[in-house]
Amino acid sequence: MTELAPGAIRESEEIAKLKQKLLRDIKRSAYVFRVDCGGCNGCEIEIFAAISPVFDAERFGIKLVASPRHADMLLYTGAMTRAMRLPAIRTYHAAPDPKIVISYGACGCSGGIFHDLYCVWGGTEPVVPVDIYIPGCPPTPAATIYGFALALGLLEQKLKTRHHVQGPNEAVIPSHPRIPLRMRVDLEREARRMAGYRQGRIIVERFMKVLESEDPTPFAERLESYLAQEDDPRLTEIVERLKDVALQGRMP
Amino acid sequence: MLKLLQELIKTGDATTKYPFVPEPAKPGVRGKPEFAGSRCIACAACTIACPANALTMETDAKAGTRNWQLDLGRCIFCARCEEVCPTGAIVLSDNFELSVRKREDLLMTAEFTLTNCRSCETPFAPAKEVNYVIALLIRAGMPWDEAESRRASFETCPGCRRHADVARISRTSLVRLAGLPS
Repeated sequence: MTELAPGAIRESEEIAKLKQKLLRDIKRSAYVFRVDCGGCNGCEIEIFAAISPVFDAERFGIKLVASPRHADMLLYTGAMTRAMRLPAIRTYHAAPDPKIVISYGACGCSGGIFHDLYCVWGGTEPVVPVDIYIPGCPPTPAATIYGFALALGLLEQKLKTRHHVQGPNEAVIPSHPRIPLRMRVDLEREARRMAGYRQGRIIVERFMKVLESEDPTPFAERLESYLAQEDDPRLTEIVERLKDVALQGRMP
Repeated sequence: MLKLLQELIKTGDATTKYPFVPEPAKPGVRGKPEFAGSRCIACAACTIACPANALTMETDAKAGTRNWQLDLGRCIFCARCEEVCPTGAIVLSDNFELSVRKREDLLMTAEFTLTNCRSCETPFAPAKEVNYVIALLIRAGMPWDEAESRRASFETCPGCRRHADVARISRTSLVRLAGLPS
């Protein structure tokens, strides 16, 4: 898939067999050594959040160690800069076989947002063989725990590759048929202006749902009960503005 | 000692029960982008907006298809795709359990059929997109037959349309130069 770096390590069959045995028979703590190959430190913060008392990865015997010589698992973060290629390979050799390599974060999995930079190899895979990919930017502590559990064979993988092929009569109908298009554009624009791109969209979608609901109670009352239910002064302010836009039929 | 015990009981257990019980979604969390292929019109707005190039789209002129791909290994969960999607086909969910053993499992792909250009017969625009544009024109208040009458123009590629325009303009200016009735 990706171009290999010079000196890239590929796993031999013998090691792969040993690793299967390790995963099957491991009856003790798994020690993790963390290798930062040019990350932004976001991933490191989340790893340390995952071993904090709230998520407590040590419940499963997962412990961060200070030397690759103690490690069962190597955790590579960052987009693998040119300068970090050799240290990454040396770390791999320093850890005793069999070892599990985890590629952590979007940068580790594929280079992430830095994938086409001149100075990166584009993730862990071009340099060392990877067993588990934990995507995320950064992965949340819960996602980290899930990745560890998957590496140790405690949980099953949930994500599968998916392929959609366009069906014979597949068609898309514009949404919100009861709202005039012009008004919808004005509402969406105002909501995004007030609340930013993602929250704005969520707020305006809910507002339009209330607006075009077939409930016989008057619109103002429906909106009132929706706002009372949410009980958020910020939302109330934005929704009041949206109401003005909807009632005037144009941007104020 | 008793005081400490009281304090401990009051504080309780702060550690989550995850992974033995499902982790409740925090408000505003951005997880896996859920893609509904049936709602996608293959307009490629998301692939232009995606800052990490996790979303890519390629036209396969030979097969007459447009292939959409989401690489979750590259996604930075910024939700820009969700913002620009005109039909709401891609929405970020709160699913965070994305770890995989194989890199291929992080890929999500979709295939859409293209309409052939009416004059040069090369595939160029997704059929669903053309239909959506016409449906949108009708929604904006255009009569059905007028919107349908534009289909010929929508199903002609920009190059051919330009040629047709040049031919039409040169014909009318020749007519004007010669002083003939148009």
